Amino acid sequence: MRIYAYGIIDFHNRLEEPIEGLEGKGIYNVSYRDIGVTVSELNEETKEITDTCILEHEKVVERLMIKFTVLPMRFLTVFNTQEDLLSMVGFYYEDFKNNLERLRNKVEFGIKVIWPTDTIKQRIINAWNKSNHSLSIPADSKAKSFLKEKFKQQQIEKEFQEEANRCIAVVDDYFNKIAVEKKLKKLQTENLLLNASYLVDKDRQNEFKQAFEQLKNAPSDLKFLFSGPWPCYNFITLTKKPASVDYFNTEDMLNRLLAQQGFAKERNAV
Amino acid sequence: MTMNRTIETDSQEAFIEEIEKVQDMLPKRIDANPKNVEKGLAKLVLTLVELIRKLLEKQAMRRIEGGSLSEEEIEHMGETLLKLENKMQELKEIFGLKDEELNLNLGPLGDLM
Repeated sequence: MRIYAYGIIDFHNRLEEPIEGLEGKGIYNVSYRDIGVTVSELNEETKEITDTCILEHEKVVERLMIKFTVLPMRFLTVFNTQEDLLSMVGFYYEDFKNNLERLRNKVEFGIKVIWPTDTIKQRIINAWNKSNHSLSIPADSKAKSFLKEKFKQQQIEKEFQEEANRCIAVVDDYFNKIAVEKKLKKLQTENLLLNASYLVDKDRQNEFKQAFEQLKNAPSDLKFLFSGPWPCYNFITLTKKPASVDYFNTEDMLNRLLAQQGFAKERNAV
Repeated sequence: MTMNRTIETDSQEAFIEEIEKVQDMLPKRIDANPKNVEKGLAKLVLTLVELIRKLLEKQAMRRIEGGSLSEEEIEHMGETLLKLENKMQELKEIFGLKDEELNLNLGPLGDLM
């Protein structure tokens, strides 16, 4: 029987409330010193855990968050034996303690921003064409024309990046003072100007939501996606990092969750 | 859901598209088999070549702007960079790789390019 892990909690006793996990199995707490790992058993026959498990994983984490501080583990984290599990917890124990302390009473919000890439680029190109910044060499051969064109492309790209920085600073200014920590990902795609995660005190959630309302109502040609509160998927920081296994977040958990919550298929928001 | 979750947007379609693009770019589990090992290796090698090519281009522009190159040197450099770009284009087509695939995720350091 293998073990599926959901998260680390600041509690080392038996869970009083029954919680159902993957495959309908009951969740239990494996204690290690003064903390615990919430797990459920997983059938040997289950060779592959599909992405649909993500929602069940998320439900368990959210149930746990009502009573405990939770460090949500990466989706689909499975251990072959309890010894393997305890060995992992022992290895990371100090990190877990520090993160549990840091993330106590905190939640995560996501802000995604799309900007009008074509309009922005065209504006930059028009400005470039009006200016006199072209590379000062004659375009009297194929090679030199190529260099002139490359120079133009580089300068336009540079201005595009700088414009992105300016826009991100404006958006971030709405949330910066409310959030405790933030992670800003710039231009993951040309259109996705910003993919941001903010860590917020539970008692400042409404303030954060109001800041979003203000941003949304300010005149701009930006499009927004606001989501949260989420468990703190993107704010667990580990000082110990073994090369072979990654138990926490190295990828954009919220993207996967949004997709798995049917956001990509259903017309109405969750 | 037990948390009072909000997911709010007035541009759902646009975000769906971008989220799917980001999902596609995330590192997948390694699926080493004889069919894709060649492409995987080509992707890695071409990513590094592309990085060097871009650095060379930037360096070239700086030198031309700085006025430290003769006409002949500029011509020579232009030809070299043009050939290099054309060759890269050919190789990308051979291995079925798109521009956006030629990148490496360096974890906390972000993307290579």
